[in-house]
Amino acid sequence: MAELATQPETLERLLRNWFPTAEQMSISAHAVNHFYGEGDARKQVLFDNRLDVRAGEIVIMTGPSGSGKTTLLTLLGTLRRVQEGSLKVLGTELNGLEQRLVIALRKQIGFIFQAHNLFESLTATQNVRMATELLGLPATEAEPRIEAILRRLGLGQRLHYKPKSLSGGQKQRVAIARGIVHQPRLILADEPTAALDAESGREVVTMFKELAERDGCTIIIVTHDNRILDVADRIVNMVDGRIKSNVLVQKTALLCQILQQYPLFRELTPAVLASVADKMSLQRFSPGSEIVRQGEPGTDFYVIAQGEVEVRTSGKFLTRLDAGSYFGEVSLLTEQPRNATVQAVGEVACFSLAKEDFQAVVATSGSFEQQLRQALFERQ
Amino acid sequence: MTVASVPLAWKNLTHDPRKLALALAGVAFAVLLMFQQRGFNHALFDSTVELVRRLDADLLVFNRARFALTSELRFPREILERLASEPGVASVQPLYLENKLASAHRAGFPARPIRVLGFELSALPFRDAAGEVPASLATLQRPDTALLDRLSKSYYGFDLESAQQGTEQAVELAGRQLQIAGLFSLGCDFAHEGNLVMSSENFARYFRYRGLDPLAVVDLGLVKLTSGVDREEVLAKLRAKLPSSVELMKREEFEQREIGFWARSTPIGVIFAIGAGIGFAVGVIICYQILATDIADHYREFATLIAMGYGKKYFFQLVLQQAWLLAILGYLPGLVLSWMLFQLNSSWTGLLMNLTWERALTILVLTLVMCSLSGLLAIRKLLAADPASLF
Repeated sequence: MAELATQPETLERLLRNWFPTAEQMSISAHAVNHFYGEGDARKQVLFDNRLDVRAGEIVIMTGPSGSGKTTLLTLLGTLRRVQEGSLKVLGTELNGLEQRLVIALRKQIGFIFQAHNLFESLTATQNVRMATELLGLPATEAEPRIEAILRRLGLGQRLHYKPKSLSGGQKQRVAIARGIVHQPRLILADEPTAALDAESGREVVTMFKELAERDGCTIIIVTHDNRILDVADRIVNMVDGRIKSNVLVQKTALLCQILQQYPLFRELTPAVLASVADKMSLQRFSPGSEIVRQGEPGTDFYVIAQGEVEVRTSGKFLTRLDAGSYFGEVSLLTEQPRNATVQAVGEVACFSLAKEDFQAVVATSGSFEQQLRQALFERQ
Repeated sequence: MTVASVPLAWKNLTHDPRKLALALAGVAFAVLLMFQQRGFNHALFDSTVELVRRLDADLLVFNRARFALTSELRFPREILERLASEPGVASVQPLYLENKLASAHRAGFPARPIRVLGFELSALPFRDAAGEVPASLATLQRPDTALLDRLSKSYYGFDLESAQQGTEQAVELAGRQLQIAGLFSLGCDFAHEGNLVMSSENFARYFRYRGLDPLAVVDLGLVKLTSGVDREEVLAKLRAKLPSSVELMKREEFEQREIGFWARSTPIGVIFAIGAGIGFAVGVIICYQILATDIADHYREFATLIAMGYGKKYFFQLVLQQAWLLAILGYLPGLVLSWMLFQLNSSWTGLLMNLTWERALTILVLTLVMCSLSGLLAIRKLLAADPASLF
């Protein structure tokens, strides 16, 4: 099956998303509070913000104006001092960071502001060069890179034009080129596509995606542009200084892709599949650990994502199961204790669905229940 | 960090030619002010010592109490004549000066004091501006004749044309008829509005009140040394033979002493220093305005550079580069204008307005310092740019 060929890769991505290691974390905000003003005029604008973003993630931040997303963005970009809480960006704790290191850190960040902020006196190329100058790149390396990015953004004919001779969208694209030409590890973009038409907006988004996937560049975009929501791995919604929701959208999508390939889920409608995927979590088990123990009450339903398990009843080897197989459904359907023990053979990753969620899905989807009972029947 | 190869300072400065022209006009104005004030200051000193510079002498003898050329304190001629026989001395020459009592009166004009220089025509100790001995000095052997400084103030009423031709014009000096036999060129200073040159014989005739022998006291003794002698050595030996009331100096030393008097003992140096200081301050303010406006105009762009990770050092370099470009570009038209104005001033006032390389260089350095100060003041605005305001 052609689809199956892509599965390991998708799964890898999913696992990466689900279990980021400390060094994969690009942003780690913990209990961040922020205040404006002093004394009586002191007003809290950020409340206990917590956010973990993995390297290579594309995060879209939404929220009404005044919700604090811009403040959070300036904190992430080291443009404001962290007042309370811990904020780690690219492995560096920002709270109390000395100015010299702040400046060093800024060189690894790409800023794309809502206004283009280009020097009127410099050409497109020269404006972009301001970013490569800072890295001390030799001209032989910097110049082709600058030209390639500008060409990519459709400015090949405008390389030596000054901002005065460029349209609003073209200026914004030059600013975007300046924000990414130095291959930053983190890009902070404020409405980067607002001034762009659909086509160049799409090109910019595609470049973002490449930077994220190829270079592991983390990208935070504050936007109201619905056209680009689909690139987000995570959508963070802020209201009144609080992170109201923080959803890994890609995780659900990836999970659906994987589940679809398993016979059990193949017949489900996309809506049901999505609701299953949404409730599923991913668990990892070390070799030899017991995932399910005979005689214990059933709590979860499992689908093997990676690795192999052994099933035993009363110490007697029954069978081995691998990726795509599922187990644990019997006790949930029959409300009886586990009838077998399942042990991980090697490293095992399983999608799991809690009992209540499992029963809810079974109740709403006749085909799912039928599939399960069919399989149960066949197994006996 | 190396200086950025994007010449941002230059690009920002030259982006808008109209703005640039205004900025340069401002700096050029300050340069002009400084040049004028320094120019007047130098003119005072130059004009005062111009006579000394023209004298064809190695050493000068004068009354030790004579604090300045204008003070009219003299010394006996015998002292000077005694020096003539000393080894190493080629010749001595007395120079007689009269100013306060030398009233020149041209018919139809008010009488005014004029400086009269008297010396022995046998050896001409006087050089014209070009370093040449005025040919017309020979005509001074006739009684009651003098040469007129063509740069003398016009309110004396002298007719330069007829003076050039030596034709008669009704002029009285100290109540006695005088014939202007020709012209020479020396220049006025703050104490003297005109000059006459005459032979010592004629000088004695006009200024009898100087004593029984009007030529018995000398204003300045001019000593020429034989060529090849060690000036310092001869100077020391001669000095030892002179009474304590008389001083002997190299001509250049005397020049510096004279300048020193005007610079230190009168407020004139201070006044012109204040004038130049005001020019400097005006320049600092103008240049600051230009730089600060430029920073304000590019506030968002500079804030973006700060966000990108450009440090203080870069911005100091940037603003100072811009300041120095302004300084140099504004200095050049300022220099040309100043030179032109010097010529005009000179012809209006008769003062010597010399524009030497050294003085031009001094003003250039002052201009650079001026713009640097402005840059250092303006950079605070740039460093205060808050990149957090950009999101």
